[in-house]
Amino acid sequence: MKNWQKILLAVDGSPTSERAVRYVCNIAPLMREAEVCILNVYPEPPPDYYTQGGRLDNYKAMREARAKEMLDEAVTQLLAAGVPESRISRRVEMAEGRTISEVVLEARAEGDFGTVVAGKRGVSKAEEFLFGSISNALARHSKNFTSWIVG
Amino acid sequence: MDWSLFPEHILPRLQGHVAVRSMRRKPRLWKDTSDFVNIDYGDVIHVDNRYLLVVGYTREGRFGVDEQPKQWVPKVYDLESEERNIVKLVFHETYTIRLGGLEVTCYRSPEKEARVIELTRGNPSFMQGYATLDDAGNLVRILKIVNGQRLDKEVFKMGASHLEYFEHYLSDVLRRFLVSVESIAMLHSHGLKHGDIRRDHIFVDREDGHFIWIDFDYDFYLPERPYAMDLFGLGNVLLFLIGQQNFRPGDLMKNPAFGEKVFDRITDGDLALVAKDRIFNLQKIYPYIPDALNDILLYFSAGTEVMYDTVDEFCADLHRAVARIW
Repeated sequence: MKNWQKILLAVDGSPTSERAVRYVCNIAPLMREAEVCILNVYPEPPPDYYTQGGRLDNYKAMREARAKEMLDEAVTQLLAAGVPESRISRRVEMAEGRTISEVVLEARAEGDFGTVVAGKRGVSKAEEFLFGSISNALARHSKNFTSWIVG
Repeated sequence: MDWSLFPEHILPRLQGHVAVRSMRRKPRLWKDTSDFVNIDYGDVIHVDNRYLLVVGYTREGRFGVDEQPKQWVPKVYDLESEERNIVKLVFHETYTIRLGGLEVTCYRSPEKEARVIELTRGNPSFMQGYATLDDAGNLVRILKIVNGQRLDKEVFKMGASHLEYFEHYLSDVLRRFLVSVESIAMLHSHGLKHGDIRRDHIFVDREDGHFIWIDFDYDFYLPERPYAMDLFGLGNVLLFLIGQQNFRPGDLMKNPAFGEKVFDRITDGDLALVAKDRIFNLQKIYPYIPDALNDILLYFSAGTEVMYDTVDEFCADLHRAVARIW
């Protein structure tokens, strides 16, 4: 796997996602040519958002502002850990008509990332059935890339 | 009474109808249905250039609860064509349902129901109708009345015992159910969900017995598992179809045919994955249920390590099971 040093770091602001950022901060400086893309994928607005007068551009602006905070914090930590700025990129996307894990997997394939890192969300089986688990989806679909799931 | 609000050509039928004759007040004409709680029996809804006389209300069919009339779903009589329909008026409702310790937010979405009705026009597995706007822009759905009986009521009547039901009826029931499952998979392939899959939301056509889905106006916000509630509902319907009833652990103790002997065999892992309220391992109650069918149920049980991701997977397993057993 030639692209293993290309890392896609999926963040969502959760405590385990923050641990995933710290984990990459520890590992990436040890790699000679690590490239890190920090990704935040957020869901579509809930079905009643529009009926209550919400507008998509307002929703996107709110989610992107929140994502910017997360990404800024991750970039600050990566720079402090010694990853050069030229090797850090960012991406924010709404999961439009797709699940969040599908968007992460598509971003992985598009950018040819050999490593995907995400925080593990501790969920029961019932929660996983109803609400899903992005880390489990990544683990299940790991083909031609490696998933690091940080607990 | 002043009848001048109503066009002359509908007056004979309007004035002669029992819904109007039995009232002391004059019927009202509603072109804006926003205030649906005030639309009464004997009133006329005017949409899509049709005059629809309200002759009754459908009722909320929740199990074990007194059936409440749904004021936003009147039964109507077309004063020109004499057709009988069900009308669904816009009612934006949001509430939380509890499944075990989990909460899921549920939305009533007229737009979603209209999309399903459009997509499934002419498809016999779905109730038929169309959506139109009233004068205030409310998305009113005008539905054909399904000529049939609720699936669960039909299933209750089949066979004198579960064994007789299993041996003589179940294969046919499951083959018809498979068509319903495929039709849900088709909805999902178009990015739509049913939203409220329950055993009383399938009707059995009175003429040829095919199954018909009704009621598509519920929606859920589950961004990572958008179709999970439909899968959950299909698992519950399959459980009912195989068992001919649902069993809560306490039911076994009350039934002399099972009693403590069967009750003691039931473990936590045999109960429903999400709510742990009913027994999914039916083989422990009816040992003659084949593995191929029981294994599908176990994917919905608390003891499972693997779950269905898609209705396609569920459908493929059920096809295989039916083909293998019968």
